[in-house]
Amino acid sequence: MLKSYITIAFRSLRRNLSYAFLNIFGLTLGIAACLVIFLVVRNELNYDNYAKAGRIYRVTLNAIDFNSNVSMAIAPKLRNDFPELNVTQVMYNAEVMVKVNNNRFRDKDFSFVDEHFPEIFDLGWIAGDPKTALSEPNSIVLNQTLAHKYFGDKNPMGQFINVENQINAKVTGIIKDQPGNRSVPIQMLASLETIKDQIKDNYTNFWNIGGGFFTFFELPANSAIKNIQARIPVFLKKNWSIEKDVRLPLQPIRDIHFDQKYINNVVTPVSKNTYYALFGVALLIIITACINFINLATAQAIKRSKEVGVRKVLGALRSQLVKQFMGETTVMVLLALVLGVALAALFLTKAHSWMNLTVDASQLQQPVVIFWITGLTVAVILLAGLYPSFVLSAFQPVASLKGGNAQAPRRFSLRKGLVVSQFAISQILIVGTLVVASQMDYFENQDLGFNKDAVISIYVPNQAKTEVLREQLLSNPGVKQVSFSTGAPSYANNAAGFSAPAYGVTKDDVTNLIFADENYIDMFGLKMLAGEKLRKIPATDTSQNFVVNETLIHKMGITDPHKAVGAHFILGGRNANIIGVVQDFQEESKHKLRRPVILMYHAEYFFRASIKLQPTNMNRAIESIGKSWSALFPDNLYQYEFLDEHIASFYEQEQKVYTAFQLFSGIAILIGCLGLYGLIAFAAAQRTKEVGIRKVLGASVWSAVGLFSKEFIALIGVAFFIAAPVAYYAMNSWLQNYAYHISIGPLIFVLAVLASGVIAAVTIIHQALRAALVNPVKSLRSE
Amino acid sequence: MSKNEEGSVMIKITDMEKFYRTEEVETIALNKLSIHVKTGEFVAIMGPSGCGKSTLLNILGMLDDPDEGSYIFNGIEVAHFTERKRADLRKHNIGFVFQSFNLIDELTVFENVELPLIYTGVPSSERVKRVEEVLDKMQIMHRRNHYPQQLSGGQQQRVAIARAVVNKPKLILADEPTGNLDSTNGNDVMELLTDLNEQGTTIVMVTHSEHDARYSHRIIRLLDGQAVVENIMI
Repeated sequence: MLKSYITIAFRSLRRNLSYAFLNIFGLTLGIAACLVIFLVVRNELNYDNYAKAGRIYRVTLNAIDFNSNVSMAIAPKLRNDFPELNVTQVMYNAEVMVKVNNNRFRDKDFSFVDEHFPEIFDLGWIAGDPKTALSEPNSIVLNQTLAHKYFGDKNPMGQFINVENQINAKVTGIIKDQPGNRSVPIQMLASLETIKDQIKDNYTNFWNIGGGFFTFFELPANSAIKNIQARIPVFLKKNWSIEKDVRLPLQPIRDIHFDQKYINNVVTPVSKNTYYALFGVALLIIITACINFINLATAQAIKRSKEVGVRKVLGALRSQLVKQFMGETTVMVLLALVLGVALAALFLTKAHSWMNLTVDASQLQQPVVIFWITGLTVAVILLAGLYPSFVLSAFQPVASLKGGNAQAPRRFSLRKGLVVSQFAISQILIVGTLVVASQMDYFENQDLGFNKDAVISIYVPNQAKTEVLREQLLSNPGVKQVSFSTGAPSYANNAAGFSAPAYGVTKDDVTNLIFADENYIDMFGLKMLAGEKLRKIPATDTSQNFVVNETLIHKMGITDPHKAVGAHFILGGRNANIIGVVQDFQEESKHKLRRPVILMYHAEYFFRASIKLQPTNMNRAIESIGKSWSALFPDNLYQYEFLDEHIASFYEQEQKVYTAFQLFSGIAILIGCLGLYGLIAFAAAQRTKEVGIRKVLGASVWSAVGLFSKEFIALIGVAFFIAAPVAYYAMNSWLQNYAYHISIGPLIFVLAVLASGVIAAVTIIHQALRAALVNPVKSLRSE
Repeated sequence: MSKNEEGSVMIKITDMEKFYRTEEVETIALNKLSIHVKTGEFVAIMGPSGCGKSTLLNILGMLDDPDEGSYIFNGIEVAHFTERKRADLRKHNIGFVFQSFNLIDELTVFENVELPLIYTGVPSSERVKRVEEVLDKMQIMHRRNHYPQQLSGGQQQRVAIARAVVNKPKLILADEPTGNLDSTNGNDVMELLTDLNEQGTTIVMVTHSEHDARYSHRIIRLLDGQAVVENIMI
């Protein structure tokens, strides 16, 4: 019996190749998309998920912001006051320049860590002693990939590498390549002892919070974190006399990847909701694929009715027919599964370069994933197969043998429901894609308050050479303007506390402090509202003259910029004088509200040169800038970054969401189109006679086409009423994640409904035309 | 009817009624029809279009329910059997031959003939034996691996007859078995049915053809759902 089911399943597929293709193709896409989303979501939700992680916490600072960086002063005091905790300190660097013999490299994820780090984090040691590898100064531990990159097949242990032209470190250990989903990514670890002298100030001052400084601790088993947290206020008071407005939240390491309130994370946190939403999209896709399958299978019912009749006459029970049709569904789903898994694996191997996704395709072989795939397969077989099987097996033999079509159940209301669902899903995803696209455009291009075009930013390793570099750059014909500063507008990363007791700001507020030269305001097109711009002043001039932004004067309660000129505030305990006011500009990402900004001339801190290029021959200009830069700084590696790329990097996570939306919406819409194509084929077959009669009576081809189209136009309309509120609610909630966002206007909905209309029209036109063009004699005879 | 005669009756229909209803019209297909067919008989049912021939055949084949009246098959009242019971009785006792053959296009000749044996749960080795036997008898063994669309009409009907008899049914219901065939192939099919009847199979055949009807023992002529004449063929 089983053999007969399988035989007929394959032969039936072969005989109805186009139907099988539509079905299997739709399911393949659906299964592949679902698998990819499952693996991505699983990877993201498993950030820092290892056995011990449940007991590892990060010490954070909550004064004004929630800051994931804390002072180095905290760890030693913690060890003293909480001897039961195993505490470690990390100073993370996103990228460093490494020299090995005469080869230079720039590699990511370099951290200085103390000797306790290996006790807390399991690093998978391949060589070296975890107890001692990081206790001596100038010791470095590499992961396998870097060890091989730097030393090839040579034994790296005991070899030396140079970091940033400052440290000559000896390789004291090799660790495995760490998984991609870690909040503190690690490729290289150097001993914190190496830089202890250089950062000794950070150990004394609670408020000296260097970038990349993290403090972690491991809680002993069977201890409760709430008991530790309860003792923190006493700890703050005892060591730093801090009694109020400052807290040290102890953040579970597993929360780091998802808690968006923290700033200065190594990896931008993403709300878990984003992943749940992505999973929702996967569900929508697989539902669409199943609807598609149901539509196509029941559309085939007419053709199969004679077979059902014959089998029933020959003694088949309904249950046997259900089994037969379920068997056919199973064969198709299994075929789609094989193709879908292959497609998912192929996608994942390419996904790193396409979407910056680091999910290994080998995960497809893990038992949990196999279990999940099995579950998905069974669910799809049941969802897609049960209904058509029951419909097909319910045919009455007498009716089916008499001629089939007339007696085949129309079931159009259910099909209409299914198609409405598909349209609604497509429209929700189209609205979603359009909203994300508009927000991305708004992030990167709209309302920035400064000019970002054709600007590159380069590092200035030695400030004594600033003027030489400036002259060389300005003599380059490819360069339009140059400005030296701590960074272009979006590079702002110097926070300072300011107060203005005379204006009621008694508590320190955080401000972004930008050290910039006299060209900064002009080059970036910042708009002066009042007063004067920054002036070049000699290093000996200690006058405290500042240009500030609107937000700062608003904090001081001043609304008229002209009245702010000449006003004073306190910065770092010193009296500061406002000489000019600029309009607010986007100094950080649009995730956060704009802050007060202070611009000051201070040549000692001009770490970066921003260069506006002539629009023609940019590549040649970049190359020649590189030559003069390398001649000036022979020990360093020339690297440049376009300002707009830097801005885009703030929105990497959103870019991923956007890419995912585009991709998966495309897939859902494509699958939906396949279903629609099946449905119109069904409608065309059912109405062949009607079309024939209408044509005999004088109907034109286009009025016959209209016969099929108007029904779908109505369905698109119904779908829109379901999709619009759902899409609005979902996307509006998403936009609330950002301090600055677009508002969803009616245009997006109009575009979505038009898009789904056009997509539907393109899908149905072929079948509708074919039905309408059939010679009426033929269509009448077919009845 | 004497007691002795009643023992040899395979089919006994009494006061049978069947209506077809649409929203507005009710059509009477069978109107208090009473007939019987004896075991081993070859009966032809004739009549104009719409007289109820096919309806009667469907009810005899337990493919359809009567609305009123009694249907006794081999001494068992089956008029109101459930679908499952009817299917069970049908697959063990009745073979069907259709005008349009109704072979399954996706299955080969062999597989088409094998199908009833699968549904009656005959083991595989036994199935092969029986299918080969019947294909041989129908002289289409050489076509066993062909698909229906690769055969001529006459050959397809032979396959359909082979399929109808492979389960050794007591009754064969034939619905215009020669309707789609030329006269030569039609005669061959009628000879086959006659042979089967001579070997003991009861046959009820609906036909429009007086020629074919002459192969039967008895003709029941229907008009408006009632038996109007019965001719005994000599």
